[in-house]
Amino acid sequence: MSVSDVVKADHLTPGAYGAVGGDPVRIARVTCDVVQVMARKGRAADVAAALLASHEVVLPGPGAAAEGRGMTALWVQPEGWFVVAPRAGDGVLAGALKASCGDAGSVVDQSHGRSVIRISGSRAAWVLAKSCRVDLHPSVFGPGRVASTQLFHLGVTLRQVDAVPSYDLMVFSTFVTSFIEALCQAAEETGYVVA
Amino acid sequence: MIRIDCPSCGGRDEVEFAYRGDATVVRPAGDAGEEAFHDFVYRRANPRGWHVEWWYHQAGCRQFLKVVRHTMTHEVHAVARAGDRVEVPAAEHTGVPAAEHKGVPAA
Ligand SMILES: [Zn+2]
Repeated sequence: MSVSDVVKADHLTPGAYGAVGGDPVRIARVTCDVVQVMARKGRAADVAAALLASHEVVLPGPGAAAEGRGMTALWVQPEGWFVVAPRAGDGVLAGALKASCGDAGSVVDQSHGRSVIRISGSRAAWVLAKSCRVDLHPSVFGPGRVASTQLFHLGVTLRQVDAVPSYDLMVFSTFVTSFIEALCQAAEETGYVVA
Repeated sequence: MIRIDCPSCGGRDEVEFAYRGDATVVRPAGDAGEEAFHDFVYRRANPRGWHVEWWYHQAGCRQFLKVVRHTMTHEVHAVARAGDRVEVPAAEHTGVPAAEHKGVPAA
């Protein structure tokens, strides 16, 4: 079965694919809301205080993610973050963040613009290493770490979720079909399970 | 392959960056005249040796960085945020007359 049978119009068909008898990785889409928060000039401390009060999150610095109440904040650039949360409906997360930040930050709902793919399993880093230039070895990377980088020539915000390891890969939604195809091809060697 | 140590992201490969040219040219005053603007837009020192240049971290933090790179060896001496000053090593003897080095930046 080829990758184009697994991935049709960005829908993943459940099943086990690729090599058998090995240690397959799991690949799945993550249904979530994504909101971009950027502090206005000189207002980073105000945004941090607002989100600490409203979402109990300490906004993370470079290369890190931080858990808040019902959400995770990912550092993406100086004074800029992605907030990710389980899908709650159009505008719910963005509305709450906008109300919290007021005029201190610029809040943009990216839920339709970004898609998140999770790859999980003991060989997940090995699969990603085929394309990833960031060192994901446990001695230098781990749960709670974030890197904006490139995979398969596409810009991706990579976050390690747990020590399994599992990685959430956030890409532009218009590229997600081609991204999943490339990811599945990279996982042919280990085998992969689509849940 | 050049490795650039981004102040935010850490060491990354050059494929994540876009080269954005000489970081030492300064925009002339609005009334400086046509020749000054011609030089600003088109004339570059093109030194053999250390060069301060803009590299845009397009696949990472999307910030402009100031990089001190050796144009012969590709050695990267320093990387800084756009607004920061960088230290440039003294020009070594390259066999090129000093006059051709007039554009080598001091900041
Ligand atoms: Zn960077």
